[in-house]
Amino acid sequence: MIRSVLNLLRRSGRPTPAVGQTPADVVHRENKWTLLRYRMRPEGLAYRTPVLLVPSLINRHYVLDLMPGKSFVEHMVAQGHDVYIIDWGTPTDEDRYVDFDEICDRTIGRALRVATRTSGQPRAHLLGYCLGGTLTTIHAAVHPQRVASLLALAAPIRFADDGLLSRWTRTKSFDVDALVEGTGNVPWPLMQAAFHMLRPTLTLSKVAGLLDRAWDDEFLDGFLAIERWGNDNVSFPGEAYRRYIQALYRDDELAAGTMTLAGRPVRLEDIERPVLTIAFTHDHIVPCDSAAVLDQWVGSEDHECWTLPGGHVGAVVSRKAASGLWPRISQWWAEREVGAEPLE
Amino acid sequence: MSPWKQWKRAFDQWEGTTAHFIEQWMKSPLLLEPAGAWLSAAMRVKALADKTTAAWWGSLGLPTKRDQERALHALNKLESRLLDLEEQLEDTREELARVRAHDHEHAA
Repeated sequence: MIRSVLNLLRRSGRPTPAVGQTPADVVHRENKWTLLRYRMRPEGLAYRTPVLLVPSLINRHYVLDLMPGKSFVEHMVAQGHDVYIIDWGTPTDEDRYVDFDEICDRTIGRALRVATRTSGQPRAHLLGYCLGGTLTTIHAAVHPQRVASLLALAAPIRFADDGLLSRWTRTKSFDVDALVEGTGNVPWPLMQAAFHMLRPTLTLSKVAGLLDRAWDDEFLDGFLAIERWGNDNVSFPGEAYRRYIQALYRDDELAAGTMTLAGRPVRLEDIERPVLTIAFTHDHIVPCDSAAVLDQWVGSEDHECWTLPGGHVGAVVSRKAASGLWPRISQWWAEREVGAEPLE
Repeated sequence: MSPWKQWKRAFDQWEGTTAHFIEQWMKSPLLLEPAGAWLSAAMRVKALADKTTAAWWGSLGLPTKRDQERALHALNKLESRLLDLEEQLEDTREELARVRAHDHEHAA
């Protein structure tokens, strides 16, 4: 512990590690969101089919490009994938009117079209993380045309569970309409408070963990980068939030099969492209069963579910993920390359 | 084992037990219902205050914050629809080029 404290003192006053460092170009910009395309590795692409990453709406995209050596994106680029990501940006007051269909139908649709057109390919692999996974799953069920495969990473699909978030949003006295009327965009501190409620001792636990391992500069860099990301959230567009809570949390429409997207029915059994569902056993934010259930509901003949140990964020960005999960995902995509053998 | 490691092990056990206990407690309707009622009431008051301010502002013939938000949102939607048209135009051009190339091959 003494070594940890000394290292913390030595590092105090220094800037926190830079995040989101993998070089990328903006290939599309619309309202607040942008579509980034990561620059390919010097030796060129190994796979033609582009990969579109869709992060959660309320978190910054750089969780998937945390820092050099701890970046999912950097790994995929190094493997020769053509990687795109949606940066949702920061909604401002007028975006209170942005609704669920606008995000799930139009934005993801546009991002898919731009990515496939820019890469000159008919389809793209779609990866959605957390709420991004819910959005991509809904989109893929309604618009499969440009989807080569779907990867739902810790994505909530069945919302009626025994978790705290589910119970809170179903609380009768919680009036979502009043919240949206009062705040416009639902402020991120309010949502962050709800996430803190999921494990109120987490802050203490983090401090103890930090004191235990802060002597290790690599651990400390990762810790600070995750903390920076965890405190850099964005507010939820009001109208989209209203439908998200009502249709998904309260009415559990994906499970009931009553969900619609821009007036079209969302049937998970219509998803016939390859589907990989990844759920984590110690995920406090998206309970494992809530994510894993997708595997049972899709219509695809090529579907897999990986239930892995770890939490919602740690299991995706840890050193262990870099040597285990990321290469497996790259391999899964490589085996589902569209229409041609890999370029190598 | 060092005193720190012993403390850390005890802390981890305490943290796990405490987190589980608090989680069960926080899931209770006895806590969630009043929290929901308090939040909803606070939001209703805020919405009413905003509405009153906007009504006063509007009575002076000035655009309210909501008016500006609606106008900006309409502009964003307009931009989005223009991008749709650009995409459709691009698709049509590509299709036309494909048909021409096909016709050219047949003619040759």
